[in-house]
Amino acid sequence: MSVLGLIAIGAGMYGLAACGVGIGMGISTAHAVDALARQPEASGKISSALMIGMIMMETVAIYGLLVSILLIFVLGGRA
Amino acid sequence: MPDVSIMPEPFRIGAVNVGQSVIIAWLIIAVLIILMLIARIKIRKFSGAPKGFQAFCELIVGGMRDFAKGQLGEAHVPERSAADIAAPAVFTLMVYVFATTIVELFGLPPATDDINCTLALGLCAFITVNVTAIRVRGIKGRAKAWTRPVTGVAPIRILTDCITPFSMAIRLFANVLAGGVIMKLLYAVVPVLIPAALGAYFNVLHVGIQTFVFGLLPLMYIGEAVE
Repeated sequence: MSVLGLIAIGAGMYGLAACGVGIGMGISTAHAVDALARQPEASGKISSALMIGMIMMETVAIYGLLVSILLIFVLGGRA
Repeated sequence: MPDVSIMPEPFRIGAVNVGQSVIIAWLIIAVLIILMLIARIKIRKFSGAPKGFQAFCELIVGGMRDFAKGQLGEAHVPERSAADIAAPAVFTLMVYVFATTIVELFGLPPATDDINCTLALGLCAFITVNVTAIRVRGIKGRAKAWTRPVTGVAPIRILTDCITPFSMAIRLFANVLAGGVIMKLLYAVVPVLIPAALGAYFNVLHVGIQTFVFGLLPLMYIGEAVE
């Protein structure tokens, strides 16, 4: 297998990070909607807590994406 | 493969490489200062009953203060509310992040596409967080925040606090970079129609979200430090 192929596999592994983030986002949104259904009057607090959690999760996805971009364009450019 | 570079674009003045993002940032700062001066001249005297332009400005500033108050709560100690101390600094950061990223819409390369720029912004946010926390709670109170809920977690919490500028810098950098890379790849595959729709997202909506996040995170860290 060529070096470029290995780099491509490594970059594709970003999918794992996205997968975990997707599961996490699903769980947190489900619970937020659940909480909203129970207490519609607390919608402001619930949505801001959800937003913060989403940002944290999105960070993980973005780090994964950054690693894969670096793999493709920095390592891939050299290979 | 489209030409994508991760490295900061060079820009030479004589023999010194100052970097493209620095030039863009200077341009943005000049434009922002001129806008602020125009606003200051336009509102020569503050009237008690604001109308027109002054009402618009007060709406923005008041909105930011309410946003900070909503995140941090009302005054912790009278006349030393964390929200009142932090809101102007955080709003300045947000305006800068928004202005340096939205320039992509006008054809200029965004300054936040450079890790050096975002790292400086991250350090500014870090200083804002710590200065606010120390002014509200004192140095002892700031140190005490690390020992919650038990003393044993202090090393981890110190590490978490020290990593914030880097985490914020990389978040913003990677978001802007990823937007640019995806747009370039898309242009290489489908040059017409679809990039326009996605460009509206990456150049306008995405910028707004990142600005909001960059304002929300320091407020969140302040809330953690002063609670």
